[in-house]
Amino acid sequence: MVVAIVPLASILVEVIRNGLSTMNLQFITGLPGVPGETVGGIAPAIQGTLLLIGLTCVIGIPSGVLAGIYLAEFGNNKFGKAIRFLNDVLSEFPSIVVGILISVLLVVATHQYSPVAGAVALSVITLPIVTRTTEESIKTVPNSLRDAAMALGIRRWRTTISVVISTARSGIITGILLSIARISGETAPLILTILGSNFFFSAWNQPIDALPLRIFHDAFQADPFTRQQAWGAALVLIIIVLTLNVGVRLATRGRYSSSRTRL
Amino acid sequence: MPRLMDIGLEKLRNMVLDMAELSQNTVSTAIDAYVQGRDLRERIFGWSEELRMLQDEVSELAVEIIARYQPVASDLRFIKSCMEVSYGFSRFGRYAHDISDVIGIFGDLSNCDRHAIQEAGAQAKDMIRVSIKAFTERDVELASNLKKMDDVVDNIYLDFVKKSAHETEANLKCVVSGTLILRYLERIADHATYVGETVPYIVSGERAARK
Amino acid sequence: MTSQVQLEELKLESKPLTPANQPLEKYKVRTENLNAWFGNNHVLKDISIGFLTNDVTAIIGPSGCGKSTLIRCLNRMHELVPGARTKGSVLLDDSDIYGRGVDPVSVRRRVGMVFQKPNPFPTMSVYDNVAAGLKLNGVRNHVVLDKAVQRSLEQAFLWDEVRTDLDKSGSSLSGGQQQRLCIARALAVEPEIILMDEPCSALDPIATAKIEELIASLKEQYTVGIVTHNMQQAARVSDFTAFLYLGQLIEYGETTNLFENPKEQLTERYLTGKFG
Repeated sequence: MVVAIVPLASILVEVIRNGLSTMNLQFITGLPGVPGETVGGIAPAIQGTLLLIGLTCVIGIPSGVLAGIYLAEFGNNKFGKAIRFLNDVLSEFPSIVVGILISVLLVVATHQYSPVAGAVALSVITLPIVTRTTEESIKTVPNSLRDAAMALGIRRWRTTISVVISTARSGIITGILLSIARISGETAPLILTILGSNFFFSAWNQPIDALPLRIFHDAFQADPFTRQQAWGAALVLIIIVLTLNVGVRLATRGRYSSSRTRL
Repeated sequence: MPRLMDIGLEKLRNMVLDMAELSQNTVSTAIDAYVQGRDLRERIFGWSEELRMLQDEVSELAVEIIARYQPVASDLRFIKSCMEVSYGFSRFGRYAHDISDVIGIFGDLSNCDRHAIQEAGAQAKDMIRVSIKAFTERDVELASNLKKMDDVVDNIYLDFVKKSAHETEANLKCVVSGTLILRYLERIADHATYVGETVPYIVSGERAARK
Repeated sequence: MTSQVQLEELKLESKPLTPANQPLEKYKVRTENLNAWFGNNHVLKDISIGFLTNDVTAIIGPSGCGKSTLIRCLNRMHELVPGARTKGSVLLDDSDIYGRGVDPVSVRRRVGMVFQKPNPFPTMSVYDNVAAGLKLNGVRNHVVLDKAVQRSLEQAFLWDEVRTDLDKSGSSLSGGQQQRLCIARALAVEPEIILMDEPCSALDPIATAKIEELIASLKEQYTVGIVTHNMQQAARVSDFTAFLYLGQLIEYGETTNLFENPKEQLTERYLTGKFG
């Protein structure tokens, strides 16, 4: 236990210690400054990260959930086995490889960096995670519930939606939130797809900034103020990840209270 | 592998067989006492009382087995029959008691024509023996003989009564004592048939039609 | 296992319908030469049996004899298991539920089922659990639903205990209450037959007694079939009893007669506990 806590604690302590001093309104809402200046913020990076998360939710998450549902409920055949295998392989891909792939497909081909390319890369990383956690959650729903619903004369698709998925929903949501927490910090695929920027989002075919990129960029600057900004960005990123994790705890705790489905 | 209930059933069976033997002896003794003119009332009263208590015990044990083990099918039929049969055996004792009572009340009956009573008595003793054997061995065919044997005893009794009814001069003592004893013997014979009727019931659930 | 050998020695075939020589119309549901398989495992062999309308029929037999499979064929749940199949007819009011073009879902609305372990939907309230069969089939009218929920809970002897807590989660009830909730849920869709697969095995004796009383009251309006491994329960609640062994119907008759004087040796041996 101690071995696990010590690295975690030391990271948190370092980040908080170094990053807290940068925390102010200007930091959260301002654009990055010019080297040598002592004003500047990481607002575009925050905006970028949130935008990417949003796009990934639209692109990657739904397909992952649907794939997970399919595999759990209808995937007990050769086709399902193949999908599961491919899914596992995909989850092992190094994120930089995913980044290169999407970069070649979307960035090089269209000669522009874009948020969409970034979101697509992140979706490819998210997809296998969400598929697997969704499938696992649905598999934990006991067969007796499906039996009970079918015996009432409820159709198969309705049973799957209103009984199976609804019973598994906290597990599914957990999986989604954890995968988002994971991709918030992905750096490699973003380098090749969104490039990074000092400005807010302006168009779908322009590069944007994101927190991991900002940290990466700022940490190597000669200017001490900018390096300090990196710590601040790191702190913000950790806050986002921790918030998502705490959110997961709250979501799963709700399972044991009298939560109801509105049919 | 023996069941829990088997211990109780074995005990029940043994109690019923003990009663069978005792009641058979009691009736034989009573009839022989009459024929030989001996007064064995005390002995017979004692046995009759013992039979009555045994019947209570059988009844209690049967009810306990039913409450505890909820028996069904042949087990249930056997237990029910044990209750009925033990009642029959206790009646044997009772009628033996009554027969020896007659001797006590009427005193010396050596002058009476005891032919009918001897015949009926022998038949009754035989019927008891047959009914016990059929019950013990679950012999349905043997049990089926009892009906005819019962008819014999019935006829002896009815003939005696009819004859006495038309007698112009009769010895009151002989007629009354004879009628009483033959009546008891007829009842003993009836109960012996009831014992026999439990045999097909235990074996195959068949019930005899009540007359 | 000697009983297997003896079965062959006795050359038993499944017996046809025997109870009381009733005319066929009196049977709410009956099977004709029903066979069922799990893959290559032949679990029901030529079963011809019927449940008389508004009576309680019990199905008894040792573990693995096919009793659960039999009732699951009556509401077309058996075929949901991968590799399972059936052959033969099941006639509900004289029309074959396995006939061409028959929608299994419609069969399941007419033939309700309650399972061994109470299985209320965990994310739904008591109210929603009972209403599930109606709501999830498109009934939206609140008045209709309210009435149905109350009626079903009353019929399941549960209304008084939950009327003030209809919004509580279904899983917050005790085991016995949960099972009655499942019964109410099955009753809400107004089936014609209620099938119960060992409904009391997971319950304590008091909860069991309540459910047995409930079964006795249900038969006024419904036809009830109950699978049980508890012979005494079959003796207590049923009007007719069927004894299954190794997938074959060995004996079937009025409960009193079957328990007092079974016709088949095998039945006699099973009832008196001479084999498992």
